[in-house]
Amino acid sequence: MFGKLGWDAIPLDQPIPLIAGAVVMLLGLGMIVWVIAKGWFPYLWKEWITSVDHKHIGIMYVLLGLLMLVRGFIDAIMMRAQQAMAFHAGGYLPPEHYDQVFSAHGTIMVLFAAMPLVIGIMNFVVPLQLGVRDVAFPTLNSVSFWLTATGALLVNVSLLIGEFARTGWLPYPPLSELRYSPGVGVDYYLWAVQISGVGTLLTGINFVTTILKIRAPGMTYLRMPMFCWTALASCLLILAAFPVLTATLAMLTLDRYLGFHFFTNEAGGNAMMFMNLIWAWGHPEVYILVLPAFGIYSEVISTFSSKPLFGYRSMVAATLFICIVSFCTWLHHFFTMGAGGDVNAAFGISTSIIAVGTGVKMYNWLFTMYGGRIRFTTPMLWSLGFMTTFVIGGLTGVLLAVPPADFLLHNSMFLVAHFHHVIIGGVVFALLAGIEYWWPKAFGYRLDERWGKAAFWFGLVGFYVTFMPMYVVGILGMTRRLQHYDVADWYPWLLVSAVGILILMGGAACQITQLVVSFLRRHELRDTTGDPWDGRSLEWATASPPPVFNFAVLPQVQDAEAYWDVKRRAREAEELGGQPHYAPVEMPRNSPTGFVCAFFATLIGFALIWHIWWLMIVGLVGAYATFVVFAWRDVPEYVIPAEEVERIDRADRQARQEALSGAVTT
Amino acid sequence: MTMEADRHGLEHEEDDKGGASDEHSAHVGTYVLGLALATLLTIASFWVAKTHLIYDPGIPMALATLAVAQMGIHLVFFLHLTTAPDNTNNILALAFGLLIVGLVIFGSVWIMGHLNHNLMPMPQLMQMQR
Amino acid sequence: MSAAEFTTAIADPYRLGHRGPNLARGHGGGGPATKRVIVGYGFWLFLLSDIIIFACLFATYAVLADATAGGPKARDIFELDRVAWETACLLASSFLCGLATIAVAQRNQILTQAALVATGLTGLAFILLESSEFAALHAQGFGPTRSAFLTGFFTLVGCHGVHVTAGLLWLGTMMAQFYAKGFRPDIGRRFLCFSMFLHFLDVVWVAIFSLVYLVGTRL
Repeated sequence: MFGKLGWDAIPLDQPIPLIAGAVVMLLGLGMIVWVIAKGWFPYLWKEWITSVDHKHIGIMYVLLGLLMLVRGFIDAIMMRAQQAMAFHAGGYLPPEHYDQVFSAHGTIMVLFAAMPLVIGIMNFVVPLQLGVRDVAFPTLNSVSFWLTATGALLVNVSLLIGEFARTGWLPYPPLSELRYSPGVGVDYYLWAVQISGVGTLLTGINFVTTILKIRAPGMTYLRMPMFCWTALASCLLILAAFPVLTATLAMLTLDRYLGFHFFTNEAGGNAMMFMNLIWAWGHPEVYILVLPAFGIYSEVISTFSSKPLFGYRSMVAATLFICIVSFCTWLHHFFTMGAGGDVNAAFGISTSIIAVGTGVKMYNWLFTMYGGRIRFTTPMLWSLGFMTTFVIGGLTGVLLAVPPADFLLHNSMFLVAHFHHVIIGGVVFALLAGIEYWWPKAFGYRLDERWGKAAFWFGLVGFYVTFMPMYVVGILGMTRRLQHYDVADWYPWLLVSAVGILILMGGAACQITQLVVSFLRRHELRDTTGDPWDGRSLEWATASPPPVFNFAVLPQVQDAEAYWDVKRRAREAEELGGQPHYAPVEMPRNSPTGFVCAFFATLIGFALIWHIWWLMIVGLVGAYATFVVFAWRDVPEYVIPAEEVERIDRADRQARQEALSGAVTT
Repeated sequence: MTMEADRHGLEHEEDDKGGASDEHSAHVGTYVLGLALATLLTIASFWVAKTHLIYDPGIPMALATLAVAQMGIHLVFFLHLTTAPDNTNNILALAFGLLIVGLVIFGSVWIMGHLNHNLMPMPQLMQMQR
Repeated sequence: MSAAEFTTAIADPYRLGHRGPNLARGHGGGGPATKRVIVGYGFWLFLLSDIIIFACLFATYAVLADATAGGPKARDIFELDRVAWETACLLASSFLCGLATIAVAQRNQILTQAALVATGLTGLAFILLESSEFAALHAQGFGPTRSAFLTGFFTLVGCHGVHVTAGLLWLGTMMAQFYAKGFRPDIGRRFLCFSMFLHFLDVVWVAIFSLVYLVGTRL
């Protein structure tokens, strides 16, 4: 009846996951009870859960990403604590649990923290920057989000029911094959990643279509803001890379469930093919994350230097160059597998070449700042922190790209330090900068600068104290993923690293405090004009938070910096452009399709993990029925009357008129 | 509200013709020609596979060429790649997809060929483990 | 963009991809494209990503093709007559779907349903032929668990078969929609996607019968 599921699946003998899981579950249940008791559920259902508004979906993505970031960070704290304690000792985490912690940390951070954050910011910002009302497929967008949430849910269910993979964030066979990992851990990984991967792929399709086909009149390709270009490149990579992940994990699944021989040791299977395919996804994945991050930096640096982005066209070219070349470097993740001189050389060279594109960008940002009037706000600080940190991280990457050097450094702590250097210094800094930068647009008030700056300094210092020692122990020969060790030379460095994570915890505390403090002070931090940073692209041309239809009238773009152009003319004329002609706006209706579909996907995933076949069939039939119901609906859109549009827009115009007169008089 | 939405819905789709195809693609002749060419190429492929008139090592290459030709026929006559509403973007997307397909297939075969070549033979490996 | 087009865009800027006669082609400043273009393009991108899944399976098949582990080789098990029939069925299915496209454009319910039934029957014949091949192999003990070569073969060809089966399910849903809702624009757009899907499956089959079956018998 319940397949492999029994009472023994609950880890009663392991207090740490049991208590953590129970606390999370109680918090979740408490939250649900509270929401229902307060009578907020209808609001939540109408405005958020069934919403197909790209802004709401984006915010939910960011929320999911932040929650998972905290979860992954807790895993990181556990690992640093373990390694600080496990010199000539066992530490407090037994090996089988430690293995789950580092596997969950990597999986969660890349796929359920960084990806939702990147996609969430794209969701919120891209349609606004393009000057349009929504993405190409609004309901599909909601499906994407809820499938991603399903994946995150499954990973966290593994805390309390069963176990997570012990194979690392990429489940290398033959270790991940049924013979060596008979438990459900790898299955949790496979189905969680597979389901959320489908969501990500749909996002990729949605955004490439949106950016190529739905832009405000007059916005030619070379008038698109830089963030849209990087989002386009990133989504093209999603389109190209995520199918590879789907196929690879499906093969491993077939090995485990049906006894196929793709990657087994027996019957001619070839485990090396898994490394080859998974990195053909894994390397582009890095750029899927970092390209939008580059876009965020471009927006932030240009805005706060009060200058147009330097070398816009070279930036576009560099972005597309990285997009293509990132698909030609994947072998550098397994130089040591023994492909031989010519193959290794080819991929070593392509890896070094891809750094050129990033170099171009780095100089462009430098020249954007040169001669500008720089405002050192928190997003700008994160961007400056990125520029130094990322260059160091990139340089260690160039070291690793040299095959002979890689033979010494492969799978060492040096590598761990390197990829954290580029992912944290590149992606996480950008996400924090981006959240800070677009927060006023999303919620109508700015974030508190003082706590933001405190979070930045703790974050930056904590980052260096945590990760620089890892380079040292790596060179001293420490491999990654060690549960305990007895080399005295490593011990002091690992202690320093543990101190570093304490500082990072301080940073996280400041960041959370900032959100709370800013919420409490939201009235004095209110953004009335919709343009708190003196911005240059179209998202600042509408109110904060934007009305559901984004723009009362689709803007007519006449310049590369669409909103700056409008503002400049308004300032010269000392008045706003003429009152537009309002007309009814047609918007897509909300739909529970995404949520219901994810519900069935959760059933399917859980059923497959525990071999509950009837439940899987129920889930599949339910998912199909959901789509048929969706296909049968007759009225996909509703109309907002012109008077309503005018009323909303008039308030925004008035605020802008006041701001304009204020600026003119001072 | 719903009535209004309905009316609007109909109104904008006027230029849309409602059907699944625009004026460029809906010709029986196109499909018949596509079917004829595809059938011809399929027969040619099966003939190549069975014949002994062609130099043996050249056969895979011949079959691959015929396959590519037939895929092209399908793309043009069935998927109307040439007359789609926005051809440039469709073709660019296809080119990008094919580039990735090429990279994945040729890259994998190249890499795995080298790895297999460099791999220590199994008996020798077993010897070392003893 | 000409001045006339620009005025049109200004006169009717409220459409999220509803209008924009022919000026909205997406690469310039014409504003949002029509819904039909958007849906067609999105589905085209989906098909490209599907091609990449097949590319991975082809690559894996190519790598594992020699790993027969003492089991049968390609030329021992492939029956070209059956493959020829399968090819004919799928090609016919694709062609009939093209005829259905024309019937839909003419808004002819009877012709549409008839063409779609024919599309479905030829597709079903393909699936039955393929199933009988798989069943025969399995009965001889040459199932996918026998060797890495057979694993790769069954997965690649089976994945295509699963796609065709999903296509048949979609076809049934499509027929029901035309029957119940008529030739509504949104259903027309879905049919556009469906026909693209079916033609695309035939393209993949060309690669499979040429590079797996035909090449396999000559190696």
